[in-house]
Amino acid sequence: MNVFSASLASLRDFFNGERILICFNGPISRTLIGEIGVALKDHIESTQSRESAAMDVFSVYIEMSQNIRHYSTAKSYGDKDASATVVIAEVAEGHYAVSAGNIVEQADGEALVDLVQSLAHLDKAELKALYKQQLRKPRHDDLPTGAGLGLIEIARKSSQPLEANLGEAEKGKAFFSLRAII
Amino acid sequence: MTPVHDNNLSLAATQFSPGVEGNWQTGRLVMIGESYPENTYEFFAQIVRWTENFLSHADRSLELELQLSYLNTSSIRAMIDIFDLLQEAADDGKSVNVSWLYDSRNPRASELGEEFKEDYSFPFEIRAFGA
Repeated sequence: MNVFSASLASLRDFFNGERILICFNGPISRTLIGEIGVALKDHIESTQSRESAAMDVFSVYIEMSQNIRHYSTAKSYGDKDASATVVIAEVAEGHYAVSAGNIVEQADGEALVDLVQSLAHLDKAELKALYKQQLRKPRHDDLPTGAGLGLIEIARKSSQPLEANLGEAEKGKAFFSLRAII
Repeated sequence: MTPVHDNNLSLAATQFSPGVEGNWQTGRLVMIGESYPENTYEFFAQIVRWTENFLSHADRSLELELQLSYLNTSSIRAMIDIFDLLQEAADDGKSVNVSWLYDSRNPRASELGEEFKEDYSFPFEIRAFGA
């Protein structure tokens, strides 16, 4: 086995071990978001008896990837910084982890982590009230990241509090990552 | 004067946006599909404009038939703009109603309809189709 096929084989082992259904790393386009989404939904629908699981995973995946697209477009990032890292894995029977990460400005990343942490304390009824309140706010009242309503929706679809992390990246930027368990 | 048929609205469905048919004569506006376009605002602006026009110029009731299996949050926000127009018209004594149709295998679409409905007082019917 050459180095290339050996590393592919170890990637495969890793994906299988982590029960990763679909993952993506690179510049993400509108079409790609849609195609991955449809493949994901079809796959879960065909293997899952809980009817709402496929829609919930799809919905969380769409909000995360569109948030990333909107953010990197708003920041006029080039392909490298506009990349998204998206992983969808099965964590237990009928439960899925949707994770997505992208490059952000340090201050925006901190605001996002704060927002995610503030959502973690809310129960479903409180999340619904906040969602309805945010829905009625003009678009420009969202966070500078534009992520307000989408994040609340993701939290509402999740069975556990969202996890957010901020790591260091090149040139003073940060890598923001978010994980939702459906 | 513009011929009446020019006031119809017709948008073909895509992977990202629902098919839309607005019939000026019958007062029916139908939307079918999924909605997560990237430029939500531009997409919905045409529908909002048609609805506004109809409500202020046509002396007929408006029936909005929705068969939307998935809406992203931007689309949900845009639908609120349309429902707000309907509520305003209803408050002015116009006859408006919404039929929300969902596939019985997709409970999330039913819940979405319920969450819209609870904020409005005009007739809003939620009905399942399929097995």
